[in-house]
Amino acid sequence: MSDQGPVPAGTPQVKSLNCPNCGAGLTLRTFGQAVTVVCGGCHSILDAQDPRLRILQTFQAATREDPPRIPLGTRGTIRGTKYEAIGFQRRSIRVDGVSYSWHEYVLFNPYQGFRYLTEYNGHWNDTSTLRSLPTLSRGGNTLTYLGETYQHFQTANAATNFVLGEFPWQVRVGESAEVSDYVSPPRVISRETTGKEVTWSMGEYISGRDLWKAFQLPGEPPAPRGVFENQPSPLSANVRTTWEMVAVLLTLLVALAVLVYATARDEPVFEDSYSYNTNGAGDASFVTDMFELKGHTSNVVLTTRANVNNNWIYLNYALINQDTGHAYDFGREVSYYHGYDADGSWSEGGQKDSVTVPAVEPGHYYLRIEPESDPRHGSIDYTVALRRDVPQVGFFWLGGLLLLIPALLITWRSMNFEHLRWAESDYGGAPEGSLLSTVENAVTSVKDSIAREDE
Amino acid sequence: MSRIVLLIYGMAVLTAVSFAEYRGWSLTRVNEVPNVPKSVRDSPGSYRSVYGYYHHYTGGK
Repeated sequence: MSDQGPVPAGTPQVKSLNCPNCGAGLTLRTFGQAVTVVCGGCHSILDAQDPRLRILQTFQAATREDPPRIPLGTRGTIRGTKYEAIGFQRRSIRVDGVSYSWHEYVLFNPYQGFRYLTEYNGHWNDTSTLRSLPTLSRGGNTLTYLGETYQHFQTANAATNFVLGEFPWQVRVGESAEVSDYVSPPRVISRETTGKEVTWSMGEYISGRDLWKAFQLPGEPPAPRGVFENQPSPLSANVRTTWEMVAVLLTLLVALAVLVYATARDEPVFEDSYSYNTNGAGDASFVTDMFELKGHTSNVVLTTRANVNNNWIYLNYALINQDTGHAYDFGREVSYYHGYDADGSWSEGGQKDSVTVPAVEPGHYYLRIEPESDPRHGSIDYTVALRRDVPQVGFFWLGGLLLLIPALLITWRSMNFEHLRWAESDYGGAPEGSLLSTVENAVTSVKDSIAREDE
Repeated sequence: MSRIVLLIYGMAVLTAVSFAEYRGWSLTRVNEVPNVPKSVRDSPGSYRSVYGYYHHYTGGK
């Protein structure tokens, strides 16, 4: 205690005794508050309330096989209070024939009492017993505590495999208790039932790094493996922030679209009607009158309307700059077919076609047009119209999609994290009614329908 | 993704959309031919379109 500064007046002192089984020295740090104490030499579990330290149980174990990562007697500050590690136990559950074990540490402060640390695969929880009872839902799948809802995660029988140090209860190796965990990350509420006794406790996820710092332990804490039941998702806060920012950016995109549509010239620059005689022979190509494209470099939308009826017309277009000789060469087809068959009426194509010629510089232009069609189908009338500086809705859709990608990506990663969490639960998946469950059901449904189609 | 990175990314997307709209870009491309002789205006048949000799499929339904 000397390294902890002045001892407060009235503070009980550490008591030294000897094990009645092996004679090894015992240190009682809880000043009579411990119920049992375990000898580190012979692993006898002794009655700490008995002045003669009656032997309650002995068990075979080697402390070196599974030493506490926080050595007993180590002191550390948790939530502003200094605690001392006084007890250590290893417990395990069996699920589907596989044993999963974790460690529990008993911490003690003479004024604040007992507190616990649990560790599983590098995941730590700061745990204390509840002073009021949570409210269980009718089905037992959720409970409410201090206005917060907790989802049932797992129920299993936990057996005590190894104990060391002091405990505020009658600890025994081999004893078992039914443990049910309800999670609301970063917290977990556990209900532990032994016979008729029920104990409720709440754990809060704490990083090993913070714990190592609090207890000034040497080296690095064990790296966490997998996703623990109440481990807070590192992405949950980012998901909300990202969606909020994406919503702002999408609003700006809509505002930009309104601005573009309001300010675009979208002006007609040329329109004329023609007739193509499919019975005619020889060269059908011709050029239009000259027209001017004004303003800055912008697009030109060419629309063709033709009175095709179970027929087609193909038009070789060349939009030629009279001043520079630069041409935009493209071909468009207008075809429209319709009829009736055993399935009813059907139709294909239409009598109108539009194409956007991108980034056309201002200048004087004309069109060279060369129509084609099946011969001997009579005359096909068609109209050619050009508009300048027409907004392209496709870029706004593309922009919206690009803006959604980061939000969708981080949401997917967050859902994957939750999937890994709930895969370890009694349910093997997310709780019914949750967003993740809905998505998982939808994915399963799609996979099933694809599999059925393949069959 | 940090806020600043997302903000830069979002502003880059908005700028790209604005620029594409202003310059009249299109998601479709057309073939460009430089130096078309002025004589084409008087003799349209002398121009050879890269899309000439079109073969139409008339299968229908």
